[in-house]
Amino acid sequence: MTSYIAKLRQFYVENKEHHTYRQSSVNPHSLAKEFEKRELSDTERAVERLKWVLEKEKVVVFPNEKIALLRTVPTIPEIYTEREWSVIKRSYRIHEQGKVSNICPSYSSLIDKGFNQVRLEIEESLKTHRDAEKIAYLNILLETLDIMEAFAERYRLAAIEVGNTTVAESFAQIPQNRPQNFVQALQFFRLIHFGLWASFNYHNTIGRFDQFMFPYYEADLAKGVLTRESALELLQEFFISFNKDSDLYPGMQQGDNGQSLMLGGLTTSGEDAFNDLSKLCMEASLELKLIDPKINLRVHAGTPIEVLELGSEMTKQGLGFPQYSNDEVVVNALKKWGYREEDALNYVVAACWEFIIPEVAMDIVNIDALSFLKAVLEALPCLTECETFDKFKEVVKSKLCRQTAEICSNTNGVYMEPTPLMSLMMEGCIAKGQDISLGARYNNYGIHGTGLSSATDSLAAIKKYVFEEQRVDKETLLKALEADFVGYDELYHLLRFEAPKMGNDDDYVDALAGELLDWFADSLEGVSNDRGGIFRAGTGSAMYYLWHGNELGASPDGRHQGEEFACNFSPSLHTHLKGPISLIKSFSKGNLERVANGGPLTIELDDSMFRNAESTAKVARLVKSYMDLGGMQMQLNGVNREMMLDAQKHPDKYRNLIVRVWGWSGYFVELDKAYQDHIIRRSELDF
Amino acid sequence: MTGLVFDIKEMAIFDGPGIRTTVFLKGCPLRCQWCHNPEGISPKVELMVKYAQCIKCGACVAACPTGAVHSLCTTRGECISVCPLNLRRLVGESYTPQELATFLLKHRPILEKNGGGVTFSGGEPLLQSSFLLATIKHLEGLHCAVETSGFASKAKFKEVVEHLDYVLMDLKMVDSEKHRYYCGEDNRPILENLKYLKGSGKPFVIRIPVIPGVNDNDENYRETAKLLEGSLNLEKVELLPYQRTAGAKYGMVGRHYLVDFDEDAKPYFNLEEFTKRGIEASIL
Repeated sequence: MTSYIAKLRQFYVENKEHHTYRQSSVNPHSLAKEFEKRELSDTERAVERLKWVLEKEKVVVFPNEKIALLRTVPTIPEIYTEREWSVIKRSYRIHEQGKVSNICPSYSSLIDKGFNQVRLEIEESLKTHRDAEKIAYLNILLETLDIMEAFAERYRLAAIEVGNTTVAESFAQIPQNRPQNFVQALQFFRLIHFGLWASFNYHNTIGRFDQFMFPYYEADLAKGVLTRESALELLQEFFISFNKDSDLYPGMQQGDNGQSLMLGGLTTSGEDAFNDLSKLCMEASLELKLIDPKINLRVHAGTPIEVLELGSEMTKQGLGFPQYSNDEVVVNALKKWGYREEDALNYVVAACWEFIIPEVAMDIVNIDALSFLKAVLEALPCLTECETFDKFKEVVKSKLCRQTAEICSNTNGVYMEPTPLMSLMMEGCIAKGQDISLGARYNNYGIHGTGLSSATDSLAAIKKYVFEEQRVDKETLLKALEADFVGYDELYHLLRFEAPKMGNDDDYVDALAGELLDWFADSLEGVSNDRGGIFRAGTGSAMYYLWHGNELGASPDGRHQGEEFACNFSPSLHTHLKGPISLIKSFSKGNLERVANGGPLTIELDDSMFRNAESTAKVARLVKSYMDLGGMQMQLNGVNREMMLDAQKHPDKYRNLIVRVWGWSGYFVELDKAYQDHIIRRSELDF
Repeated sequence: MTGLVFDIKEMAIFDGPGIRTTVFLKGCPLRCQWCHNPEGISPKVELMVKYAQCIKCGACVAACPTGAVHSLCTTRGECISVCPLNLRRLVGESYTPQELATFLLKHRPILEKNGGGVTFSGGEPLLQSSFLLATIKHLEGLHCAVETSGFASKAKFKEVVEHLDYVLMDLKMVDSEKHRYYCGEDNRPILENLKYLKGSGKPFVIRIPVIPGVNDNDENYRETAKLLEGSLNLEKVELLPYQRTAGAKYGMVGRHYLVDFDEDAKPYFNLEEFTKRGIEASIL
């Protein structure tokens, strides 16, 4: 790391000195009152808000920086008053905060053209529309460009004032015109990304950065404008920009901000997409050791092992990424779900791990979550009537289907605030004069699946002990669960510690997981949402692993009442695991293409496994092996349990300790204790 | 025939080339003071208890015919299933060669695809050499390594090495008197087996546990390096620094961790004695 980057890192990340430029917070509803009085439409409100935020922004340019823009307005105001919002909530399904989030726009559609070109396209579209609403919308798109240009112009002037010629030159060129070089392209990205957050869009993912930025990088190298070294420094400065304002971004916990960057994989023509910029991104992240941007790596049969070895180097640093996904599985899954081949080949991840398509998809990939274990527990009252295990499974399946049916029926009538800036980067919005919040080529909804391992282990215990060995009678089991095992010590021990568990390459158990996953997929087969999209089943948990666990009673896998589930697609926390090989085999057996909404197998490895280059390379082999087995998505963590325990006692000593939470990396000491404790428990899953 | 196994570790990263499964055979004739696998010392099944987490609920005492006194344990395991925290287990599982091989072969494709195989470790795996050899016969040519102290009869050592693909051998110290003191036995058989190994043509690695104040001196490094010099089938020498956590499991098997060296002293490394003789050496 150069001393310049070290200084930037210290300024922005360690000391957060830029916070002194922050303005004071405002009442988030102050703007909406005026909007209501003026009787503005939602689109008008959205653009007015962006204008308000960017005009209120204090322009800050430092003399030596190459990529500018700093958020100083802490509050992005709401466009509706509380009263208006409560009326809207009564008539519509509001997902999370009611904003467009967790999708991937095509940044390059603006960067590669420049606003002048985009303006021409909007004007062309205007000529084709008669509908007053469409015309009004297209005019708002034009206004959005104006607002962004005006903001950029203020930065240009400020740059001149402090004598920063790089930034001044950038803003003389962009956003009106296509960037002339890599630094201008990066500045352009920063401008748009900044604008999205200022528009109250969140979980603004980054997409296939190594693909759409490569031409600028390559051209600068060829021209001699940049060397590989200077490009690395520039890229690191750019990466730091993702950490400048991120504490202001909405999320469940600090770090949950969706700045996912996808590298490598296959191109839309089916070739290896990993290029020198992909490698440079990994090197930049490896040196910086920051939680943003979050690196994802697409793997396919032809991905060189060296790439995975570089990935292992990152895992070794304790970054909690890269997260790996298997192109062979994911692309096929997406195609089966009706995505066009070229779109499927272009997949990226949303904030955590859900597979989404840049530019063409307005999928809501986390609309709700199925609780596998809840289906099992709801079936238990019927256990005494079931003469065979198969009969009991049928009841579980029906409970599961009832849950998904309810989830699906609750998704009707989604309303999202319009977002003109995002729409400029989404296919068809300009031509149709229609906001992206109203839909795109794909409008599919994804449903997480939580507690799979607890549900599987519960079924296995019932099958083995109740039906096959008849060691445990039905009434006793039900009473023990009711009592949360108090007074049933031996039964508890049997179920929790001796029973077969998912994760040990035991077909007896793993086959039941496969069935649960199939039922989940079956229950969504042929169901469509009210936007004409489908429902996608997934193996992710998001924060539901705590929520769903807390609301359920004791279960036949020896899990206590209220005890949390494992995170994502992982073995239960009280499993005695045989080891990583058995684990990856277990978690690659199901028909994963049917449950490919996203959700990785998460493996905690003791950090001693990364002791030297040879051992780190062997970890890369583990990743490769999982993909060869047909695994879908994987995420490894190098952890040190003692360090985390000490960090709970002495947080000040561990400000830089990064951990993976559920689909993203955060700073350990900034997490709520429940999440910290869960991560420590995960690390105790001993091999 | 059965063998007694005290652990099977998947993806054992430091036990030979590629991705490997390591089988730990129970029982060892040596008594190295720094041994970090005390449950591998006794050749019998024994009780292992995580006493540190015990909440003293008394369930085990009530279930045990001898009042849960560790040294009186009958290893019948009555106490195991009554422990609410699952802190108790019997360590040492019997396998027939066929059973063990079947288990190991389950992962054969992954092991072979990644240039690995199986490693037999211990304890001292040569203590169960007939079981080891019988197991290998069932492994259908899967790459097999042994991690040995070298303390075994010449005949046993030779027979095992002949049937294996790779050897990781400890060489704790050259001084025989010190060896007797710290490891409980004379090192003459080890040095003789080393002589054989060097001439065997089998690829091998020498590992030196570096114990502060015991063997981390220039003389031991030099004498070790001299012994190894010119050996064409020696791949490398690895120095394994003493782990401060070595004593962690002693209490669990009812043993005391008693060492006659300063655990907190920083171990001294000297790679140069090896490298100047053309031997690749590193600290693990």
